[in-house]
Amino acid sequence: MTVVRDPALAADARRERRFFLSLSLPALFIVGLAAILPILWIIRQSFLTTGGEYTVGNYQKVLSSGLTWSALVTTLELSLGTLAACILLGTPLALALASVRPRLANVLMAFVMLPLWTSILVRTYGWLVLLRRDGLINAALTGSGLTAEPLPLVYNFTGTLIGMVHYMLPLFLLPVYAAMRDIDPNLIRAAASMGATLRQVIRTVIMPLSAGGIFSGSIIVLIYAIGFFITPAVLGGGKVNPLSTRIERTLSTFQDWGSASVLGILLLVLMALIGVMLLAARRLVAQNTVEASHA
Amino acid sequence: MSWLRISLTAFAISAALPVHAQTVTITTAGGDYGNAIKEAMWGPAAKELGYDVREETQSDGLAALKMQVTSGAVTTDVIHLGSPEGAQAAAQSLLEPLDYKIIDPKSVPDGAKSDYCYPFDSYGTVMSWNTKTYGQNPPKTWAEFWDVAKFSGRRALRANAQDSIEIALLSDGVAPADVYSVLSTPEGLERAIKRLEAIKPNVAVWWTSGAQSAQLLKDGEADLVITWNGRAQTVKADGGAADYTFKGSVIGTDCLGVPKGAPNKEAAMKLIAAMTQPARVAKLTDFIAYGPVNPAAYEGGLIPADRLKTLATAPENAGTSVFSNSEWWVKNGEAAQRAFDEMMAR
Repeated sequence: MTVVRDPALAADARRERRFFLSLSLPALFIVGLAAILPILWIIRQSFLTTGGEYTVGNYQKVLSSGLTWSALVTTLELSLGTLAACILLGTPLALALASVRPRLANVLMAFVMLPLWTSILVRTYGWLVLLRRDGLINAALTGSGLTAEPLPLVYNFTGTLIGMVHYMLPLFLLPVYAAMRDIDPNLIRAAASMGATLRQVIRTVIMPLSAGGIFSGSIIVLIYAIGFFITPAVLGGGKVNPLSTRIERTLSTFQDWGSASVLGILLLVLMALIGVMLLAARRLVAQNTVEASHA
Repeated sequence: MSWLRISLTAFAISAALPVHAQTVTITTAGGDYGNAIKEAMWGPAAKELGYDVREETQSDGLAALKMQVTSGAVTTDVIHLGSPEGAQAAAQSLLEPLDYKIIDPKSVPDGAKSDYCYPFDSYGTVMSWNTKTYGQNPPKTWAEFWDVAKFSGRRALRANAQDSIEIALLSDGVAPADVYSVLSTPEGLERAIKRLEAIKPNVAVWWTSGAQSAQLLKDGEADLVITWNGRAQTVKADGGAADYTFKGSVIGTDCLGVPKGAPNKEAAMKLIAAMTQPARVAKLTDFIAYGPVNPAAYEGGLIPADRLKTLATAPENAGTSVFSNSEWWVKNGEAAQRAFDEMMAR
């Protein structure tokens, strides 16, 4: 296409661009109102005493407290644990879905998506019914004699992780499945015809080509998992306390909005850091893949 | 004195024919308890006063109150709080002073009196247990509750320092009367926290809501649960394999306050006075086992004798209990909660 030289046409193009930009105004307005303003308000709040004077005391208090750091560690453990489980469970599942006939894949996909349409509260309490001491799973285990004592499946880290993985798995699966669907089957056939074993095909063809999907999925999982509140609150039994429950505690027990705002900002910073790290990692992997394919 | 008669008649007419109904908004914790407060207390009172009362529910009254007052958008006129939260709210000047010209000052015993949040009912934080696990031989004292060798079993405690640290000291041999003087020393608080830390490995769940504690008891998820007597009584009455004792309970009160800047301040005071009439707070025990604070409610057979036994404040249950000290909690609450949270994170 040639560059528009006619001034009348150029003006036309400018008008068109302005029109398209103006179309995005309502969305920008909502985002500004619903996301940016509250964040600015939280930042201001984090520098205020309960009396309304400016201070950095909230930061000193929060950052010097061991409770903050143990909550941070729990947040990371939960998020990374959820991510690991999603990768281990979700990648083979996506592979299976991508390799069956499209009609069957659609049916299976519906099963995967079903939990997404259920409220998180309902699902969380559902897990409580399944996992508790005389719940279905423990009743089956002790009833069949597999275990003598009921297993501690809930009101701890394990239960929280189960609930979180259940929530995140479909969201992880979608981009991975999409990436795997897009792989040209001829590449797999070509690799196989050259004598590659199944393992080699997965390692050298499928995984590099679906790395983008896995990264997108990972970003979604981490961003959600860092802020999980209901699941640790209900399934953690008071023993699993990530930053989100720490914020709630700071608000409800201490009515300390300043410190709660600092914790909120900490969560935002953590999210940004993870985002940057993942993007950097993705670029690195992409580079390596390119180099490997040139080698 | 015909002018008196005339003004009385005029008053009666104006009361009987309100031009438009006064609206008052009340905020309660909701659930069975909130419903009980509605049925027994403000429902009949609103009818008597001719008020149009609107209800809001908030599981965390103090946080909601603070949000409304500090943002300058007060929508509620009467708020239901726990007395320690009431005292805390008063200290942060979130409440209007109560108008004891409208509310009868004699309806509150001296020890429980508050200038800002009117105490109307009381509950005990009690020991409850699964009767399938312990049969006729449950732990009888807090010391036995802590004795995990003699009474194995999964414990459930509230994830909050309130009442827990008092009970921890009782279990360590501190007399009920001395609990707060011991807690007021740094070593005393540390002693209580250490005691909680000792039982921590045997605590299966640290619960965060009363409903959750009742569920744990009902499902047998925990064998020994520290909970509020109303919750334990409800599980027991519903046929759950559960029982509880008032021995060594920590008695607390709930109160009604008027948020600073409430839109209908005077009507709110009148509603508080009317909804806490002896017959109404006595009636509350029809729905939930929380006993009135007003001594007059225990007179004249307003509460049936067999129900008296289920109330923390009943005469026969007194003696081994500790009365929760709101002032102590306002002064030391933050330090105590922090020490508690640090113990939980260890």
